[in-house]
Amino acid sequence: MTATAERPLARPANRRIPLAAAGRLVRLELRRNAMLWMLPVVGALFWFLTYRRSVALPPMWNVRAMSMQGTTIAVFMPTVVGAAAWTGSREVRRNLTDLLGVTSRPRWARQLAAWFATAAWALAGYLVCVGALYAVTARQAAWGGPLWWPATIGAASLPALAALGVAAGALVPSRFTPPLAAVGTFVALEASLELVHSAASPGQISPLVAGPWNLGNTEGLATFYRYLPDLPIAQLIFLGGCTAALLGILGVPAGAGGRWLRGSAATLAVAGVVAAGSAVGLAGTGHLDPHGMVAIPALHDAADDRAVPYTPVCSQTAIPICLHPAYSVYLSALAGALQPVLGDMAGLPGAPARISQAPVTYREHDQGIEAVVSGRSASDVASVYWIVLPNQLAGPSMTVAESAAAVRERTARGIVAAVIGDGSDQAQRAVTAAILGTDDLPPGSPVAAAAQRFAALAAAARHAWLQAHASDLRAGRIALEQLP
Amino acid sequence: MTRLVRLYLASRRTPMAAAALIMCALVLRAALSRPWDAYGALQLPLLFETACACVIAVATASPFGELERAAGRRLPWLRTGTTTGLVAVAAGALCAAGIGTHLDGGGQSVIRNLAGLTGIGLLCAALLGGALAWTGPAAYMLIGIYGLYRQWHGPALDTPWIWPARPPDDVSAALCAGLVLAAGLGAAAVRGSRIRPE
Repeated sequence: MTATAERPLARPANRRIPLAAAGRLVRLELRRNAMLWMLPVVGALFWFLTYRRSVALPPMWNVRAMSMQGTTIAVFMPTVVGAAAWTGSREVRRNLTDLLGVTSRPRWARQLAAWFATAAWALAGYLVCVGALYAVTARQAAWGGPLWWPATIGAASLPALAALGVAAGALVPSRFTPPLAAVGTFVALEASLELVHSAASPGQISPLVAGPWNLGNTEGLATFYRYLPDLPIAQLIFLGGCTAALLGILGVPAGAGGRWLRGSAATLAVAGVVAAGSAVGLAGTGHLDPHGMVAIPALHDAADDRAVPYTPVCSQTAIPICLHPAYSVYLSALAGALQPVLGDMAGLPGAPARISQAPVTYREHDQGIEAVVSGRSASDVASVYWIVLPNQLAGPSMTVAESAAAVRERTARGIVAAVIGDGSDQAQRAVTAAILGTDDLPPGSPVAAAAQRFAALAAAARHAWLQAHASDLRAGRIALEQLP
Repeated sequence: MTRLVRLYLASRRTPMAAAALIMCALVLRAALSRPWDAYGALQLPLLFETACACVIAVATASPFGELERAAGRRLPWLRTGTTTGLVAVAAGALCAAGIGTHLDGGGQSVIRNLAGLTGIGLLCAALLGGALAWTGPAAYMLIGIYGLYRQWHGPALDTPWIWPARPPDDVSAALCAGLVLAAGLGAAAVRGSRIRPE
């Protein structure tokens, strides 16, 4: 007689797994969602409009991440809103309202599943696109790590845009709703930028705003000092509030669900409106901090005002040129542009021991934002000569070569003036022209002839003569005829 | 014949489309009455031209499919006539909205951009169906805005295929937009909007 093994009890057929039905609904929505088929279009637009433009910018996290925020949201906006409106109007478009009205799931749950699927696909596409751009930037950037706040704002915008589309499609279920909602949202956000006139404008709450008004892709932001998260935090609150309000509004109409569900939806909508309104109010209390970011007192952490520690990168020139490591792409061009002058000036009385890059200070006035050289960056030739790269200042962006030429124009003349004088007599003018290689002296004049003679000397001879006579030259005790 | 036309227009929701086009023009008029900065002024007409083109493209589809196929050989004429009429309404309404205000590029630019965008929408209607035909003009709108941005910041895009970024009197850009409209009208007349369940 053999003992029969005891068979395990079968799982009861009616055992319920919490949220299993909701999971199935979401899975169905994910498989059927229109946003999935829009992703190739969005990817192509991202490549054409955002990626190509971003990788053409200097490989600095602040520049690329902050310029990416607005254009990426603009690329995703029409497609996400349109696809969500298309999905939101589906029940009415397909005349399924009565049929689905008798199912066990409330209408709000179905709409939330549709919103979730649209937002999830949009987010997946966004992560791939932004991930590719960040990966390329990580390989190219010389210093620092990814700026996550701009990417986070973009990611938080997508659920809000999807909620807007689903609400538009559900409330106005027409075939014309998706395109009009898509373009209308674009117009509305474009119009919101018109309201931004200062760092205290409530309109800065628009997710398209990545930095201070009217400053552009200034390289001086978020390098010497931290990226201030004040405005992004307010934008996150606003986007979260908008999402909650729009989703809550969907659940309020009769037929969206039971009394308890509709009450919860109304509460969610009110909470969302309060949060969004508070965020707009917070953005209106902002001001431009000296380091060029928007500071909001209620959200500001004083620890973010500290300078970011860094080890400068220096050139091997006769007088070392030291830059913030984020700007190391400029170093070789600067060294090449300044090397001839630095070779002549090195070791002379009055010449700096080092050329260093200084941060700039930002000031807001009626006409816009002005980036000015901060106090320590004035020409202080005691030991360090402070320079500012043109792209740290507000204005048109320059290439590396253009920046090097502009710095050479200012810096070389400044250093030479500190060593041999500001050109108040003819000998000083001749030597300055010879060292800088300029041809602004009157042709055929004795000064021009002396400059040509001095420039023709061997570098060692010129340096030796300057070593012996620089103090006298600066004091005006050398006549033109005494030049070698 | 009159009944056929009336039923055709009703099935494509043409009256609602015409109302939407006029509404777009009215909103543009209201927007133009306030001052805009340079970006806004450049982009605003293109946004409304896109909205109109999307409406025209979406109005090519019937929720019941192309039932008129069985009713005779006049369907291509109905399709072409309806679409051309809606383009004319949109162009007239948008140009009228710009009278007395500063409409960037003027009426010439409006007609060119609207024609090209509508052509893209009609091609998308033939490929994707009328209900999703708006995706093409909406995507092209972003490219057009980028072209306008580059026109402002340089270097400007000189391809005539991005016609919104070209000056209003650029013949090659007008030709490109016209070609796209012709292709779209041809596709819409011959194939109509792709039939797919809404």
